[in-house]
Amino acid sequence: MTTANPDLPLNHQPGHIKHDGHNLTGFIIFLCSESIIFLAFFSGFALLKLTAPEWLPEGVEGLETKLPLINTIILVSSSFMAYFAERCLHKENLWGFRGFWLLTMAMGSYFVYGQYVEWSELPFSLSSGVFGGTFYLLTGFHGLHVITGILLMGLMLARSFRPNNYAKGEMGVTSVSLFWHFVDVIWIILYLLIYVWQRSS
Amino acid sequence: MTTSTPKGRGGLPVRLVAVILICTLIDALLSYQVSRWAYGWLPVPASTAAPYVDGLFSLEVGIGSFIFIGCVGFILWSVIVNRAEKYDESDGLPIEGNTRLEITWTVIPFVIVMALAFYSIDVNEKLAALGPKVKYDVEGGLGPETSLVVDPHKDYGPIQVIARQWSWEFIYPNGVRSSELHLPINQRANFELSSLDVIHGFFIPAFRLKQDIVPGSVISYSITPTREGRYRLRDSQFSGAYFSHNQTDVIVDSEDDFESWLSTSSAQPLVAGLSPGTELYAQRLAQGDRGWATVPPAPPPMVNDPGNPNAPHDA
Amino acid sequence: MTTTKYDPRVLKAPHPVPGAPDNWKRFFTFNTDAKVIGLQYMGLSLFFLLVGGLLAMVMRGELITPPSDLVDPTVYNGLYTMHGTVMLFLFLFPVLNGFNNLLIPTMIGAPDMAFPKVNAAAFWLVPVFAVVLLASFFVPGGPASAGWWSYPPISIQNPLGHLINGEFLWILAVALSGISSIMGAINFVTTIIRMRAPGMGFFRMPVFVWTAWAAQTLQLVGLPALTGGAIMLLFDLSFGTSFFRPEGGGDPVLYQHFFWFYSHPAVYVMVLPVFGIFSELITVYSRKPLFGYKFVAIASFIITFLGLIVWVHHMFYSGTPQWMRNLFMVTTMLIAVPTGVKVFAWLGTLWGGKIRLTTPMLFVLGGLVNFILGGITGIMLGTAPIDIHVGNTYFVVAHFHYIIFNTIGFGIFAGIYHWFPKFTGRMYYEGLGKVHFTLTFIGATLNWLPLHWAGLYGMPRRVASYDPEFALWNVIASVGAFMLGVASIPFILNIVSSWARGAKASANPWNAIGLEWLLPSPPPAENFEDDVPTVISEPYGYGLGKPLVQDENYYIRRAQEA
Repeated sequence: MTTANPDLPLNHQPGHIKHDGHNLTGFIIFLCSESIIFLAFFSGFALLKLTAPEWLPEGVEGLETKLPLINTIILVSSSFMAYFAERCLHKENLWGFRGFWLLTMAMGSYFVYGQYVEWSELPFSLSSGVFGGTFYLLTGFHGLHVITGILLMGLMLARSFRPNNYAKGEMGVTSVSLFWHFVDVIWIILYLLIYVWQRSS
Repeated sequence: MTTSTPKGRGGLPVRLVAVILICTLIDALLSYQVSRWAYGWLPVPASTAAPYVDGLFSLEVGIGSFIFIGCVGFILWSVIVNRAEKYDESDGLPIEGNTRLEITWTVIPFVIVMALAFYSIDVNEKLAALGPKVKYDVEGGLGPETSLVVDPHKDYGPIQVIARQWSWEFIYPNGVRSSELHLPINQRANFELSSLDVIHGFFIPAFRLKQDIVPGSVISYSITPTREGRYRLRDSQFSGAYFSHNQTDVIVDSEDDFESWLSTSSAQPLVAGLSPGTELYAQRLAQGDRGWATVPPAPPPMVNDPGNPNAPHDA
Repeated sequence: MTTTKYDPRVLKAPHPVPGAPDNWKRFFTFNTDAKVIGLQYMGLSLFFLLVGGLLAMVMRGELITPPSDLVDPTVYNGLYTMHGTVMLFLFLFPVLNGFNNLLIPTMIGAPDMAFPKVNAAAFWLVPVFAVVLLASFFVPGGPASAGWWSYPPISIQNPLGHLINGEFLWILAVALSGISSIMGAINFVTTIIRMRAPGMGFFRMPVFVWTAWAAQTLQLVGLPALTGGAIMLLFDLSFGTSFFRPEGGGDPVLYQHFFWFYSHPAVYVMVLPVFGIFSELITVYSRKPLFGYKFVAIASFIITFLGLIVWVHHMFYSGTPQWMRNLFMVTTMLIAVPTGVKVFAWLGTLWGGKIRLTTPMLFVLGGLVNFILGGITGIMLGTAPIDIHVGNTYFVVAHFHYIIFNTIGFGIFAGIYHWFPKFTGRMYYEGLGKVHFTLTFIGATLNWLPLHWAGLYGMPRRVASYDPEFALWNVIASVGAFMLGVASIPFILNIVSSWARGAKASANPWNAIGLEWLLPSPPPAENFEDDVPTVISEPYGYGLGKPLVQDENYYIRRAQEA
């Protein structure tokens, strides 16, 4: 309570500033910042590819593209599954949400598995010159983000079982969904840079 | 509040305008003087690049002095004239701005800095020192000598410059190897700069020229010395423990003296060249290897002329 | 003081209240109140200012004579590397985050930051990476010794071959610092965008908020590039990759692009808030509106934008092609324009003012004079032919210390003195403050002015020893440095004793205009709580006769009675 003179006429409505509801803004800002780290890796990859005296290591002719293409299709489709999950949640269809959400997680996990399989069959390592270094750094860093996305999705899935968690849960789901789409877009650029570009050089 | 102070155009009192004009004039004269002094703030000019660099520097010192004296003078004047009385908490003049003035002090600096930028590009082109940079395949076992980056405008060279942790080696076209860089006066000398380990800096203050030397590449660089004498060449890009000792001298001679040095040197046997780090590191090991980690110095290059490190230098 | 009656709102604040019991505990806990976090940042960073300063004292002790006779050259290299790293990452960025935490919510009327827990986490990362960084002094081989730039290949030579070495810990500490800074930046930007008082449109925000926003935007855009480069450097150092190693096909100059893409904007991150502090203080101590407030506000973001496209001016002689040098020379010269707008605005604010030379104002004016000099040498460095001669010499060292210490450092001191009464509730001792200023101004000038000539005549930087012709400049510089060391004594004495037993400060000791001055000193836990004033005019309305907020007298009385 105030001890100000109660006779003074007050012409204002006391203002109030919301403490919360800012999560989405903060998360979007975070994603913009995170995209720059990938931009840094992409530009490093491109510059090294264009200026290295010897780009590919000894005995390596190039990268196989069929398996990664399948992986790409699965990852991109999983973004659509995430979108459907969000629509279900918006319509308060919790089981529909959980179904599509789990499907997204499964497709994401398949992507990680596919990446692991590809890695294990490659004839070069992290220390195989600039090519090896940039390849594993880019795909590894991206893979880490996919795993993080899956874990965050698991968290959202668990939270959806809490009674009356609808309002809080939706904000988290929007953010994680955004993160998943972000990871997807990064992969598309990565795929173009690493797998498609090699054909034309 | 009416006043009988005579006002000129724009509402400023005539006296104030006169004071401003006089102060500006004094500022300009002082700045011009300082810009003349600025030539003395640089080492003796010893290459064709030096007059251009020194001229640009003098111009910038002049403009800078004008701005500095003007602004600081204004601040001091304000503080003296507008100082509030001890317990005076009344407000100053309620001026929020003056759009015309603000535009002026945006446009005029813009014009000045753009003029400086384009003048500097012009000077940069005139220096004409930098040639192409070519990477060589270190992984494939190639070395700097396999790259050809020769300057088509050169009068002399190319002289191979090899930087190591922590020594300099100069290899002349006729095969002479030296720890000191001898150059003939008034001839455009071309260098092929290379490093065998980390980034070094090829810096000769008297010539006003500096170029980092990047391992894995050969950089073509050219200088035309214009004054006989002995000048310092210093490693300018931090390169490790004995970085500050990685210095040698540049000796600019007349054409005849240069040729005679070349022929005398080619007859001399190869000896260990200038590498102060070798001695210092040996001392460090003898005293128990105290200190923080460092790579051992590269072995001193084997040269015909190890030079005269204790000779006094001009700049 | 006799038993003081405290308003319960003030007592329940999680931050210290003069005379209240157990004050000190609040600073050593995971406290989510932005004002506590702000003071935590301040205290910690000032401690590291002393650590970095101590390293500098040893360096200047070495450099007072030409030969390398005080410490081994490898030790000198570690010292100068750690001096730069500690000063930037453990003093400068944290202290500015301290100002952000204290000032942003109070200046915009917000109760706290948008994400208080993230805010506290960001702070507590600082002691963590501080320990990591300082631990590097004790690992075999010593700390990182390749300069705060850590250029490869020298930084990845790892002579002793250990996995955990000084450079490894350095990269780790810098990466953690980046994470902490990004967390802070997300917080500050979200708060400014979404939590302003009613009536406070963007063009009614104080200039400090504008500059803080501009600076934090740069952090968000630039830091990830540094993080990317640092990760690649770490991999090269420890896992056998060759991003920057020519032996594996890599390019050392590529690192420099990553490094400077962040580290040039970083200098604007450091200087923009201080420009904000200058704008705030000059208006209070001249009792005049800021001349050209809108221009000054917009100039902050023009600096942000231009600051992102000039980084190659740190690489004019690195092995960059001529066209790149010319291009970045043009963009670099452009930054002088918005900076000049701010400087002239401050001069315009002094015109016709009622100037009070309090300690904060002395530091502002001293800092401004120093900035004009530092800015001019900066323009010189922006022209490639000059930079080619003086780059990597003591001319550059003199230039950047003129900005970092003689401008930014002075601005930080000014801000500390100015807002000390507000956030501690005590007045500082003015006499000691003036002693601090005098010693600091003279010491700083003696330390760095002569070094411009040392650089012009050809003395390289980062050297443990030098040719005898540079001796005179270095002796003067070292005397100045020792003087700066001594100057810290009146400062520490003042802060400590004033906080413990200084006179109680009123809500508005400077009779200033601003939302933070409508709060008690110190402000309660959620600042205006549920009674946030409605802003009805632009800031700094001195002499204009219009109140800052609706029912201003009500808020003034409310603050005084707390």
